[in-house]
Amino acid sequence: MKKKIALLMSCCMAAASLAGCGGSSATATTAATQAPATTQAATTAPSKEASGGSGDVKLTMSWWGNQVRNERTQAALDLYSEQNKGVTIEGQFSEWSDYWNKLATSAAGQSIPDLVQMDYMYIDQYVKNSLLVDLKPYIEKGALDVSSISENTMASGTVDGGIYAICAGINSPAMMYNKTLLDKNGITVKDYMTIDDFEAVSRQVYEKTGYKTSIVYGTAQTYLDYFMRAYDVVLFGDKKMGGKAEDYIPFFQMYETGLKEGWLIDPGVYAEISIGSVEQDPLVNGSSPETMSWCAFANSNQLTAVQNAAPEGVTIGMTTWPSPDPKKSGYLKSSQFFSVGAHTKNPDEAVKVLNYLVNSSDANNILLGERGVPASSKIAQELSPKMDAINQEIIRYINEVVTPNSSPINPPQPDGASEVFNLLNQVQEQLCYGTFDAKAAAEEFFNGANKIMSQK
Amino acid sequence: MKTRKRIGGIIYHVIVCGLGLIMIYPLVWMIMSSFKESNTIFTSAGQLIPKKFVFANYATGWRGFAKTGFIVFFKNSMFIAIVATFGTVFSSAFVAYGLARCKFFGRKFLFVAMLLSMMLPAQVLMIPQFLWYQKLGWVGSYRPLIVPYYFAIQGFFIYLMINFIDGIPRELDEAAKIDGCSYYSIFARIVLPLITPALITASIFSFMWRWDDFLSALLYINESAKYPVSLALKLFCDPGSSSDYGAMFAMATLSIMPAVIIFISLQKYLVEGISTSGLKG
Amino acid sequence: MKEKKRESFRHFMNRESTAGFVFSLPFSIGFLMFMVVPMGLSLYYSFCDYNILAPPVFVGMKNYIKMFTDDPVFLKTIGVTFYFAFVSVPMRLVFALIVALILFKTTKATAFYRAAYYLPSIIGGSVAVAILWKRIFATDGVVNQLLRIIGIKTSFPWLGNVNTAIWTLIILAVWQFGSSMLIFLSSLKQIPVTLYEAARVDGANRFSQFFKITLPLLTPTIFFNLVMQTINGFLAFTQCFIITQGKPLNSTLFYTVYMYKQSFEFYNTGYGAALAWIMLGIIGLITLILFATKKFWVYTEGV
Repeated sequence: MKKKIALLMSCCMAAASLAGCGGSSATATTAATQAPATTQAATTAPSKEASGGSGDVKLTMSWWGNQVRNERTQAALDLYSEQNKGVTIEGQFSEWSDYWNKLATSAAGQSIPDLVQMDYMYIDQYVKNSLLVDLKPYIEKGALDVSSISENTMASGTVDGGIYAICAGINSPAMMYNKTLLDKNGITVKDYMTIDDFEAVSRQVYEKTGYKTSIVYGTAQTYLDYFMRAYDVVLFGDKKMGGKAEDYIPFFQMYETGLKEGWLIDPGVYAEISIGSVEQDPLVNGSSPETMSWCAFANSNQLTAVQNAAPEGVTIGMTTWPSPDPKKSGYLKSSQFFSVGAHTKNPDEAVKVLNYLVNSSDANNILLGERGVPASSKIAQELSPKMDAINQEIIRYINEVVTPNSSPINPPQPDGASEVFNLLNQVQEQLCYGTFDAKAAAEEFFNGANKIMSQK
Repeated sequence: MKTRKRIGGIIYHVIVCGLGLIMIYPLVWMIMSSFKESNTIFTSAGQLIPKKFVFANYATGWRGFAKTGFIVFFKNSMFIAIVATFGTVFSSAFVAYGLARCKFFGRKFLFVAMLLSMMLPAQVLMIPQFLWYQKLGWVGSYRPLIVPYYFAIQGFFIYLMINFIDGIPRELDEAAKIDGCSYYSIFARIVLPLITPALITASIFSFMWRWDDFLSALLYINESAKYPVSLALKLFCDPGSSSDYGAMFAMATLSIMPAVIIFISLQKYLVEGISTSGLKG
Repeated sequence: MKEKKRESFRHFMNRESTAGFVFSLPFSIGFLMFMVVPMGLSLYYSFCDYNILAPPVFVGMKNYIKMFTDDPVFLKTIGVTFYFAFVSVPMRLVFALIVALILFKTTKATAFYRAAYYLPSIIGGSVAVAILWKRIFATDGVVNQLLRIIGIKTSFPWLGNVNTAIWTLIILAVWQFGSSMLIFLSSLKQIPVTLYEAARVDGANRFSQFFKITLPLLTPTIFFNLVMQTINGFLAFTQCFIITQGKPLNSTLFYTVYMYKQSFEFYNTGYGAALAWIMLGIIGLITLILFATKKFWVYTEGV
C-alpha cells in the first residue's frame, strides 16, 4: 500500500514538474494529468517483466450490485488470475448510491480503480473530467476486440469521438405488467402502445379491477427523455433545454388526465415505499388494488427481479414503454458499462481484462448475462441456450421487439442534468398533489431547467 | 401499607412492561421478518408472525459475498469498534480532566474548538477528510477509522466527561494535593475511578457508533475482505435489480447483537454502586 | 545536581498550567491533525465552484449570495429543520428524563427494562427501521389499525400528507431517546446517597427530595443533554434520508439532506460546503444563547 502511495506521489510530482516546465497554456496542464498515467505504465511495465516470474500486477475493479453479481464477477476475475499467472484483480463492490459517492471521492483524490463499472447517467461527467481512458487506440491496436459488438451498442460508450466505455449488457426500456390480472379480465396489451392506447388500457383496468396506474413517480427522467424523442426533441442542448415549453405539455397532460379520471395512483402511496426498489414497486407490492398498479416502467434486464418479487401465481409480461410515437422513441442502451480508470498504472493489463470480460466464453459462462444481454453477439448466441426462460424472453424482446424499431440513444446527460431531474420530479410531485395543471407544470419545469443549465 | 406498596409495584411493572413492548416491537418485527421467505417480506409486512419459519436467510446471509464469509465482516467490525472505543474513552477522559480542573492559557479556545468541531455536518467533511488521509497515505487501511480516536477527536465525549468531573467535589482534589499527589496521580487514582459511570456510558455509545459507522469505512476501505458489518449489510440491496431483503434482515438482526450484549453486560455498573451504598427505592 | 533538575522538572510538570497543557495535548494534536485541515478545506470549497470531479475554482461569495437570493428550497429546509429540532429535542429530553427516573429504581427486572428502552437507539438508522416505520404509518398500517380499534375509521396517509409526514420523523427521533436516558442514568448515580439520607432525617418526602436534590443536581446534565441534542437536532440526517427523502413536497426535507443532495447528487459541492458553514453559524449562535442562559438555571456549585 505504501509503495502504491509513493508511486502515486512521485507520479503527481512528475506531473507537477511537467506542467511547470512545459506548459503555460491551460491545455498543457489538462494533458499532463493524462500523460503521467501512460508514461508511468510505460516505465513500470517493462521493469515488471524484467523482474521475471514474480512480476505481479495488482488491479482493482469496482462495481455496484447484489450478492449474485458480486459472486459471479469476482469468480470471473479469479478465473482470469488463474489463466494469467501474476495478475490479481481485487473486486471492490458497493451499493449503488454508495458506489457513486466512493467513486467521486476517489476521483477527487486522483485514485479511481483500474476498472470501473460505469452508468450512462455519469459517463459524460467522468469523460469530460479526464477520468476515463480512451479505448480507441487499444481497439485500433487490436488489444480490445469489438468486432462482434454492433455499432449502435458501441455508440452509447462514445463521447466526443472517443470510446470510453464498453457495454456490459444490452438493455432497453421495458414496461412490466401484471399479465395474470389483464388476462383474467380480457384486456390485452400490445407492443408499441401510443399514449392513447395506454390511457385506454389504464381506464379499462381501473374500471374492471380497481387497479391503478403508476407512471414513473420520482424517477421520471428516463421516461421524459424517451417521450420527447417522439417529437424529435433532445432533452439537453448546449447549456439549455431542448424544444419549447409547450413541447413538454403532453407529458404532464398524461398525469393530469389520469388524476381527473381517477386511474392514476395516489402520490401518497409512494411516500410509503422506497422509490426505485423493485420489491416495493406498486406493481408487485400493495395491500389493495387502490394502492397497486397494473404496470411499472422498468428496463428489460429487470424482468427477473420483477418476476421474483411478484406474488405467487402472478406472471409478469413485458412490452415497450408507451410514447406518442413508440417506434421513434425506442432505443437500445447499456445497462452498465465497463471502463478503464484514468489513474491506472497498468492500462494495458486493464484493457486485457476488459477484453476478457467482453469476449471470453469462459468469463461469460460465469457471468451468465446477469448485467443484461451480452454486448458481443457471438457470446450472446453462445450463451442463449444456457439461459432460463426469463432471460430467453429478455433476449427475444431485445432482438425482435426493440432492435427493429430503434434509433441511437441520445447523447449522455451533461453536468447539471441531475439537478434538472430533481426539478422534474418535484414539478411532477406538485402536479400530482394538485398544485399545478399540465400547462403550468410544463412552464415551471422548462423555465427552471433552462435556468439551471444556463448556470453550468 | 404493605399492600399499597405491592399494588404500586404491580402498576409500576405493568406500565414499564407495556411501554417496553412498544419500544422493542421493531426489533421483534425485524427478527420475525428475518425468518420470513425473502420475497414475502413486503407483502406480509403487516403480519408479525411468519406463516412459515425459514432459516434460509441466515444461510445465504452468512455465506457473505464472493469468497468472504459474513464472519469476516463481524471480526473486522469487532476489531475496529473495540480498538477505537478504547482510544476514544481514555483519551477523552484525559483531556476532559485537563479542561475541567486546570486553568491554563488556551483553555477557553480549546473548549470552543471542541464545540465547533461538533457543529459541522459530517457529510461535508467527507471529501476534505479523504484528501487529507490520502496525503497521509492512510487510505486502504484501518488507520483513518482508528487513529483519530486516540486523539479525543469526538468533542461529545470530552464534554460528557467534563460534565461528570465537574460533579466530583473539588475538596477531594485539594485533599489529595495536600497529601502530595500530582495532577497525574489525582487523575489516575481519584478521578478515573469516580467517573466510572461516565466511562461505561461512553464505551457503550462509542462501541455502538463505531459499529454502525459505514461512511468512513466506505471511503477508506478498499478490500472487501476488510469491510465492516455496517458496510456489508448494504450489499444485499441493489435498487437496480433484485435485493435480498431476507438475508439483509437476518444479518441485521445478528449485527445488533454485540451492541445489545455489551449494553446488558455493562449497564449493571450503572446500578451496582447504588445498591451497595444502601439507597432504598 | 541531577536530582535537583529532576525535582524542578517534576515541579514544572505539576504546575497547573503545565498539567492543563499536557492533559489537553491529545485533543490539541488531534484537532490540528484531523480537524483543522478538513474544516479549512471545506471552508475554502464554500467559496468555490466545485463539482468533486474537477478541481475547485474560486468564485468568492457567489454560493452564499445564491443561497439567500435565489434558492427557495434553502429557506424551506431551514424552516423544516427548525421545526423538527424545536419540537423533537424537548420531547426527547423530557421522555429520557422521565424514563431514567423510572428505571433508576433497582429491581430484578431493571437490566431488561433498560435494555428494552435502549434498544431503539441501538437499531439506529438501519434499513430495517426505514421499512418498518413506513409500514407503521402506512394507510393500512399499525397506527390506522389502532385508531380503528378505538372507533376512528380512517385510512389517513400519515406519510403522504404535507402536514403529518414530519411528525413521523419527530416520533422516530423521540422514540430513540436512549442515549440521553443513559446519560441521565449515569449522572443520577453520581448524586451522593448521603444527601437523600440527610433529607429524610429532615422529614422531606419524595417529591421535595426530587425538587430539592435530584433536579438541581441534574441541571448540569440536563444542560449538557440540551446542548448536545440541539446540535444533533439541527444536524439530523438519517431519519429523513432513509425514510422520506424530503417527501412529500419537501415538507420533510432536512437541511443536511438538502446539503448532501447538493454535494453528491447535483455535484454542487461548493454550494453544499457553503450550506454547511451557514448551518455551523446557526448552531453556533443557538449554542451561544444556551450558554448565556446557563447561569440562570444550571446548578454549578460543587456539592
